[in-house]
Parts: sequence; structure tokens; C-alpha cells
Amino acid sequence: MAPILEVHDLTFRYAARPRPAVQGITFSVEEGEMLLIAGPSGCGKSTLLRALNGLIPRSYRGELQGAIRIGGVDPRTWPLARLSQQVGTLLQDPERQIVAADVLHDVAFGLENLGWPRARILERVDEVLHALGIAHLRDRPTFQLSGGEKQRVALAGVLAMAPRILLLDEPLASLDPQSAQDALALFRQLHQEGHTVLLVEHRVEDAMKARPNRVLYLEEGRLAFDGDPEAFFERVDPTAVKVPFPVWLRRWPAVRERGKPAVEIPPADPTAPSLVVFENVSFGYGDGPDVVREVHAEIRRGDSLAILGPNGAGKTTLLKLAMGLLKPRRGRVWVGRKTTREQTVAEIAHIIGYVFQSPSQMLFAPTVWDEVAFGPRNLGQSPEQIETHVRWALELVGLLDQARSSPWALSFGQQKRVTIASVLSMRSRILVMDEPTAGQDYRAYMQLMDAIAEIAFGPTRAVDALVFITHDLDLALSFANRVWVVADGRLIADGPPEIVFSDPEVMRRGRLVPTSLLEANRQHWTRTGRFQRAERLAELLQGTPPAHPA
Amino acid sequence: MLVTWPYRRRGSFLEAFDPRARLLFALSLMLSTLFFWDARVLAGLWALALLYFRLNRLTWRETRRAWLFTGFVALVFVTITFLTGRGGFEVYRTERLLARLSLPLTVFGWTPAVNITVERMFFAVSQMCRMGTVITAAILIPYTLDPTQYGVVFRGLGLPDKIAYAMDLAFRFIPTLGRDAMQTMDAQRARGYELENIRGGPLAQIRRLAPLVVPVTLHALMAAEDIIDAMDLRAFGVGRRTWLTELRFRRHDFLLLGLSAALFFGSMAAAAMGFGRFWTP
Repeated sequence: MAPILEVHDLTFRYAARPRPAVQGITFSVEEGEMLLIAGPSGCGKSTLLRALNGLIPRSYRGELQGAIRIGGVDPRTWPLARLSQQVGTLLQDPERQIVAADVLHDVAFGLENLGWPRARILERVDEVLHALGIAHLRDRPTFQLSGGEKQRVALAGVLAMAPRILLLDEPLASLDPQSAQDALALFRQLHQEGHTVLLVEHRVEDAMKARPNRVLYLEEGRLAFDGDPEAFFERVDPTAVKVPFPVWLRRWPAVRERGKPAVEIPPADPTAPSLVVFENVSFGYGDGPDVVREVHAEIRRGDSLAILGPNGAGKTTLLKLAMGLLKPRRGRVWVGRKTTREQTVAEIAHIIGYVFQSPSQMLFAPTVWDEVAFGPRNLGQSPEQIETHVRWALELVGLLDQARSSPWALSFGQQKRVTIASVLSMRSRILVMDEPTAGQDYRAYMQLMDAIAEIAFGPTRAVDALVFITHDLDLALSFANRVWVVADGRLIADGPPEIVFSDPEVMRRGRLVPTSLLEANRQHWTRTGRFQRAERLAELLQGTPPAHPA
Repeated sequence: MLVTWPYRRRGSFLEAFDPRARLLFALSLMLSTLFFWDARVLAGLWALALLYFRLNRLTWRETRRAWLFTGFVALVFVTITFLTGRGGFEVYRTERLLARLSLPLTVFGWTPAVNITVERMFFAVSQMCRMGTVITAAILIPYTLDPTQYGVVFRGLGLPDKIAYAMDLAFRFIPTLGRDAMQTMDAQRARGYELENIRGGPLAQIRRLAPLVVPVTLHALMAAEDIIDAMDLRAFGVGRRTWLTELRFRRHDFLLLGLSAALFFGSMAAAAMGFGRFWTP
């Protein structure tokens, strides 16, 4: 049987760029196959996807060479209406994909565009909503859906058009661990039902749970690997791609020499002085119900605090309350010696430096240097201090050589670093980051987090405490000495990772899913004394006989 | 993703009417004010708009912000016209002076003063009633029009598919822009930026707004590009589309349409006959 998709020697260069984004890519996919396409940020995954779904060359101009055939036909000869029925694309962020105001109209959108009769559209929409288990969402406004729900709705909109090939572009990026697990189970189900699925994801360890038949690995625009998953794990550099811990352990001797020793984060000290105190804090927007409920907790000097929990649980709201951007409905938030009602946000910024999630929400200056100098200027630092602090912050995030570039010309990962430098340069005592690793590949975010840990716990001790919101349990395990789990506006757990991640009830309510690293840590905890990041755990376990499960 | 205006069903009998009929009635109310300068007529139109507002079961509480913002803008506008006395020159020629208020100071030989005249006062009242009517009818639209029907309403009013959907997106773009602006404001305030402390001349002040304006604008452009991609991938604009929601005028809708037409064309005819010109006691 002829392959459903053939890509031969595909090269594409965007009109504004000097070098091709993908080069000489050749592969084919059989009907009903599931492929995982992986690779670091900027490797050409998105470009390949755009070439397959027709956005290249229709919406993105540039130089396209090579051939793509779907069912033996060159899709460039098809009108978009036909192509969209052959190739369905689930975009990385479901927020970007949903166009209509309610679920019914969004799922129906493609079929409306194809001019189907109303009765047939309604029938098809109900069929797809049932198949994805979201029939109950049919009449809900789209902007009120949770992250996982939004993704299912976006997927329903794609599946409604019954495409032969399904492209999933980093579908796990914005999901909490349980929602990601549910999404992977759904993709597996679609595959078992006979769909041809191309799953693009840099969270390789997670994506493997969907049990792809093959892995394609892209590096710098070229195809570096095309083969079965087992062989992939033996070939790939485990410092570039997150692999399951048993694989990491096996591969550790080969990569050990390249690993730079990271700074040790000491355990949190419960007797250390408080920096921020939440005193029975409740908060709700407008006349709405409470979204933060009776939170009573402290952030202390020496904390590296990870905040986890489902989307919409109140994590960001909690940090905005600390920053004074929101004022509590009941209770008080103390920052330093005053409550947030007694000081302005600018005054609190001397104590708390808050990095928002999305760089595009805050980047505005013509150069990276000006961007990073903005905060210190607002806080009234002297020109000499500004010069010193901007230089220091840019050096820490590795962007001093880009000081004269426009922040908008940088990659997403670099922009994220600019936002962190912009806050570091204010020299606030607590560094707070909302999803610092979102949108970055494994190697990039591990390097960034190592640099941040160095800032807080290295010889300079430039900040008194770190706070970060994340969905990545392994990140919390590797970089936090204290964990909060927030669910439904309440703080349901506060303690060291060893205690919090060992409580099945907290894991369930926080929609957290055990990872291979967590399982290995749990297994060896009695010997290692505390949970360890992968490198350290591998080091500790090397040469020792496997432990028996507790 | 685009967010929507705070629409909800309120159990008003007007919800049984076709949204196009309701939209056209609100438009006829707004446009009718353009034909008059008589404060009594304009007050009547405003009263009608307020009655319509009430019948839609909208409350002050939920629309408070919109009222305060638009009311403030209207008040500034009316006050400036009143103080300068320039706005009404086209509708009245003579003025009857009631009082002249002047400040007890002189700037380069000029003493700031304002003439309080009957004409200026009544012009201000007329202007306020006219803007009040427009504001009342305009506030109604986002709160009472189901966001899932924006597109089909405009399509039903005769706009082509693409323009109707563009109007749908544009309608939802406004509250989305508001949300994005709030997020950027929060992000910049966390960097010590204070809007209230912006000083300097007009140019310097505009430059100091850059931390707010630049990210919001660029974010909006990127979001627009995303929406275009998402729509292209689902075959938008490839041909004549089906609109899932079907709108049909029924008998009571024709009644409301008739009322709207009567209001608009009646006002036009009355104005042509010289009724409703500027009036003072």
C-alpha cells in the first residue's frame, strides 16, 4: 500500500531569513501510523508542520523546495478547503485555535465554512463531542473552559472535518499533568481507531505514553533520527531531551563528564525569617465567588518554593496578591513589615520581583538593554547602579551579547530570559516567576533554572528566596526545597517535595501525575535522604545494586 | 482567544425578539437624536432609551463601569462646550446673559471669564440628552446581544460572510484588548511603573505610555495573525458558508422593526418640517 504521506527532500527558507528553517527532510508515513516528531526549540518542527498543513506556502512566504504528497497527490494543487479535510491541525495553544464564542459554534466552524447543511453539521458536532467525552460542554462559552477542556474542544473542531492525517503541535504545552495524561490517552485512542497521527512534542518522555510507532528527531532543520522509540532513547543526548529516568541512569556514564556541577539547594529552613505572610487570605474577582480561599502561609528566606496545581486553581492570583496587584477580600498579606494595603506596587517591587508568564505582555523597549534598565529606573536607582545591575542581570541570563538587539527579534526562549533579567536588575529580594520554563526545550530550561538557582543559592546569594509556578513536577523536584499545591483556591499542601509528592490525596487533588524521576526518588529516598534531580540521583545510584521498592 | 462581553439571559420579554430587530431599534434611537436640538424632544428620546434599557432588565450594578466611563467622557465634552460657548454657534445666534463669572486674576492682560447664558445652558442640556440617548442605546448592545450570534446578526443584516465574521471578531476584540491591557498594566506595575506618576510635556507623556501601548499593540497583532491561521486551517472563506444559527423574523419582530422605522423616519420628517429645533423658554 502506498504511504498516506510522503515528504521528499523538503527545504524551506522564510522570506526574511538568510538560512533555511528545514533542509532536506525526507520521510513517509503509512496510513494509521503514529509518529512522534521531536527536537529542541528552533529545530524546524513548526515549519515542517506548516508545510504539511498548507500554511506554507499559502500564508508564509519563502522559498520552498522538494515535494510533499498526500495519498500520492501534491497538496499544493488543492484548494485549502480540500486540504483542511485531508490534514487537520491542532495548534500548540488551544487559545489560538478557538475562534467562536461557544463550544457548539467552534466545533461547527470548519463545517460551516465548507457549507454543510445545518442538520448534518449538528449531527456531526454531537457525534464528535460524544466521541471525545465532552458532550456536556456543548453550550458553554469557550473562554470559560479549563485548559484541558479548551484543548478537547479545539481537537473536536479539527476532527469534525474528518481529516485523514492529524497534526498535533506541542499539545501538552499548556496542560497540567493530569490533563496532559488524559490528552495522551485520547491521542492513543485516536490512533487505535485508525487515525494517522503526527504528534510534535518536545516533552518526549510524556509523549511516549501515547505509544508512537516511530520517532523523527529534528536538529537545526535537519532530520537527525527516524526510527523506533527504543532505538531513539539509546541514540539521543539525554541532556538535550528529557528521557525516562531508567534510560537516563543507563546513559549517565557516557554524559557524566559533560554535566556541569549545579549548585546545591539546601533544605528549606522553617525557622528562617518570613518575607511574605498570607494571613487567612481570601479573594474573588468583582462580585464573583472566592478564587483564593483562606490561605495561611509564609514565604521565608532560603525558600525555593514551587507552586503547583491545576489550571485556574488560583496560583497566579495568589502571587498577584503578594505583589499587591490584587487586594484581599478578607485577611491580609504582609510583605516586609507592611501589608499590601499600606504600600504601592512600586514599593513592593523593591522586595518582590515578579516575572509574568508571557514575554509579549511586557516587552516594549527598542533594545534589550533598555528593557532590562526599565525596572531599575522606575525604582529610582542611580545611573551607576543601573549600569551595574543591567550588566549583571544580562550576564546571568547569558544575553549580554544581545544587549543592543531588539527584544522582539529574539527567540521565545531568549525573550523569556530578557523578562527574567528585567526583574533581576531591580535587585528585589524575592524572585517570583510564573511558568519560567514554558515554551522552552529541556536543555534550555534546565540551563536557565541552573542559572537562577545559582543566583539564589550560589556564593553571591543575590536573592533571598525563589518562587516559581510550574506544571512540571520534575522541575519542582529538581529545583524546589518547598512545594505548595493549590487546588480550587485552597493551599492543600505545604512542605518539602519528599512529603508533598508522597501524599496520594494531594497528588490526586492537585492533578499531579508521578514521573519516572519521582518514582525513582521515592524508591531510593531512604538511601538518598531527600529527593534529588536526575543527575545527582544517577550519580548516587551508579555502581550500587538496585534497591527494593519500599 | 477572544473573550466576550458580559452577556447573559435576563428573562426579559425582549429576548423573544430577533436580535437584528433589537439592534435596529437601538440604532434608530441613536440616529433619531441627530435630527433634533430641542432639549424637550431629546429628553423624551432619552427617556424612551432608558425605558428600553429597563425593559431589557439591565441593572445599574452590572453596567456601572460602562456608565461611569462614558458618562465622564460626555460630561467633559459638555463642560468644554459650555465653558467655551463654541459648540452652539450653529443653532443659536443671540445669547441672553444671565451672569458673567470671572476669575480674580489676569494672565498677560487676559482675565479668564465665562458667560452664563440661557442658550448655552439649554444647549448643554440638549447635548447631554443626545449623548445620554446614544450611550444608553450603545451600552445595551454588548449586554443583550448573544455573542454566539454577532456574526449571523451582521450576515442577516445583509453583510457578506467575510465582513460579517470580521464584525463578529471585532466586537469580541474590544473586551479582549481590555483584558490584555490589564495584564500588561499588571506586568509593568510589577516593574515599578506607575501610570499616575507620568510627568513632563505632552510628547514625554506619550513616550512614557510606551510600556503599556507597545506590548498591547504587538500582542494584538500577533493574536490577529494566530486567528487568521486558525481560520485558514479550517477552510474559512473558501466559499459560501452555512451559518449554524438561523435567524427568522416573526410577527412581533416586524412590529419592532416598524416601530424603529417609524421612529427614525418620523424624526426625519418632523425635522424637515421644522419641528424640534433649538429651544429655550
